[in-house]
Amino acid sequence: MSNLLSVENLTMKFGGLTAIDDLSFDAKNNQITSIIGPNGAGKTTVFNCLTGFYKPTNGQMFLHKEDSKISLRKYTDFKIAYVAKVARTFQNIRLFPAMSVLENLLVAQHNELMVASGYSLFGLLNLKTYRDKEQLAVDKAKYWLDIIGLTHRADDNAGDLPYGDQRKLEIVRAMCIEPRLLCLDEPAAGLNPKESAELNKLLKFIKTEKQTGILLIEHDMSVVMGISDHVVVLNYGKKIFEGTANQTKNSKEVIEAYLGVDE
Amino acid sequence: MEKKDIIQSFKDSLFTGLIALALFGPIVGLRTVSKGEGLFITPQWGVVFLLVGLCILGRFLININSARRTEFKIFSILSSKFSSITENKAKHFAITGILFAAVFPFLPFTDRYFMDVAIMILTYIMLGWGLNIVVGLAGLLDLGYVAFYAVGAYSYALIATTFGWSFWICLPLAGVFAAFFGILLGFPVLRLRGDYLAIVTLGFGEIIRIILINWYEVTNGPDGITGIPRPSFFGLPFKRSPDEGETSFHLFFNLEYSTMHRIIFLYYLILVLALITNYFTLKIRKLPVGRAWEALREDEIACKSLGVNPTNTKLTAFAIGAMFGGFAGSFFATRQAFISPESFTFIESAIIVAIVVLGGMGSQTGVVLASIFLIGITEMFRDLEQYRMIAFGGAMVLIMVFKPKGILANRKPTILMHGDKK
Repeated sequence: MSNLLSVENLTMKFGGLTAIDDLSFDAKNNQITSIIGPNGAGKTTVFNCLTGFYKPTNGQMFLHKEDSKISLRKYTDFKIAYVAKVARTFQNIRLFPAMSVLENLLVAQHNELMVASGYSLFGLLNLKTYRDKEQLAVDKAKYWLDIIGLTHRADDNAGDLPYGDQRKLEIVRAMCIEPRLLCLDEPAAGLNPKESAELNKLLKFIKTEKQTGILLIEHDMSVVMGISDHVVVLNYGKKIFEGTANQTKNSKEVIEAYLGVDE
Repeated sequence: MEKKDIIQSFKDSLFTGLIALALFGPIVGLRTVSKGEGLFITPQWGVVFLLVGLCILGRFLININSARRTEFKIFSILSSKFSSITENKAKHFAITGILFAAVFPFLPFTDRYFMDVAIMILTYIMLGWGLNIVVGLAGLLDLGYVAFYAVGAYSYALIATTFGWSFWICLPLAGVFAAFFGILLGFPVLRLRGDYLAIVTLGFGEIIRIILINWYEVTNGPDGITGIPRPSFFGLPFKRSPDEGETSFHLFFNLEYSTMHRIIFLYYLILVLALITNYFTLKIRKLPVGRAWEALREDEIACKSLGVNPTNTKLTAFAIGAMFGGFAGSFFATRQAFISPESFTFIESAIIVAIVVLGGMGSQTGVVLASIFLIGITEMFRDLEQYRMIAFGGAMVLIMVFKPKGILANRKPTILMHGDKK
């Protein structure tokens, strides 16, 4: 399996606080790489560095593309999603609540549609080329809605969906930009066991069917252990362990720092 | 209904009366009259007590009404009137509204005064629709919209008086200038949201007005610009006696000369301009850029994470909103034939924002209803002179009490997967 993402010596300091300390790890194509650790270990900070919300103090992040590799440091803000094709979801759901489910998925295809609409000119003239492209975008949205079983609610406001469905919608919205790397920040937070099982299924589907690597932050061990191919454990901004799910479960350091002992 | 409730509501309404007394006491009660050598204060406590009494009574009735199971008839009528305004009916309203607007000048009761009010309402509708793009769709609270109105008016006036170009050339130019100023304002405020954005845009509106007052060489300062050319009907001026070698409108069509011709023409001009604004907004809302505006209003961070460029998106909203403000401004200039900075004060911005917010953010029909309601009611009470602003305030309070989210607050999706379910 080829490397998709390599993080090399990543360091992020906020004033005197070192949130991430010399972190290096790799994530592979078509694999789910989980980042776990106690609260405040720096997991979300890693995501914010990867997705351009923070500029790291030190270190490199490369996204591999066939033979070449691009440095994520060069891209900030919206360009991470637009050019580098790194998508993310958020710990606290960030949908567009007053817009319909379908519209949420169309905004994710904004850049392609923008070109197709001739930066609004063709769209205003209502040309067929644009209408066809828009139909394609709707079809793509429908494809993903079918997968998460929300097609019947496509015209409802995203904010009116139940919590679990909102989580799933946020993930497929990120998938609509056709990302090469999908970063999920606690997708199972607040889900009941049935919903987390559905989430596992969705993530496995994305992993096997799409050319996408998944980076996952999660506290729900049933999700982490159930689907991760590779686990990176952080504590106080440092990597304390890296290995498969099984190795992680049995590692002494990880149990001490995070998992705890069954009583 | 218990005795306790009545006592409670009575206490509450007395407290309301106290606040009313504190407000009306100095504002209404102490009147300054200039007599001979100086100003003298004449108290008018009678009016104050009348107003305070009205406040106490009104508050008491509202309190009793909310405590009782069955409502007072007047409240239930009012609230059902207000809640009967829904998006479904809005569609019928839009069609009948446009038809009515089209035949309005030829209705038997329409006179010069009605036409002037109608033109004024239409100007506000157009401004409301223009601002709706910025505030309603993109969610950028702009309290300085009048600046673009002013830029449009002054660009039109300066170009028309300096170069003598016709209205139809100056109009798009004024729009372009206003759009340019929209981008100029957009850049520094890109990172601001909400209250902070509102404050900066408010400042921008004042800056433009103060520049207009002080840049005497160009804008003629507080004296304003006079003699702005009137629009012509495709080259036919509305004049009683046209210049040598010219044909005027009434001669060309063999009509008796009447000043109403020009008024009617202006009416249709602003009607068409407003409808273009509306059509454009409805169209662009369904395009990717329109969806991006709304997405930006909902969650800017999520937009970035999906690759939507927030800078460009915000700037287009500012530019397009400003452009329509500029069009309205040049219409204003050509209608008045005289403009001065006094026409572009903060109160204008406030009225336009009020129209958009009370109409229901993002609702096109809501803007129309709010304009008619606010401007129309204020006009109806014109005989009361300065007290007519009370009618304006009263209209706002009515909307806020019965429709706190705006007259038409329902948003319809821009695209449907399953078609209209009805």
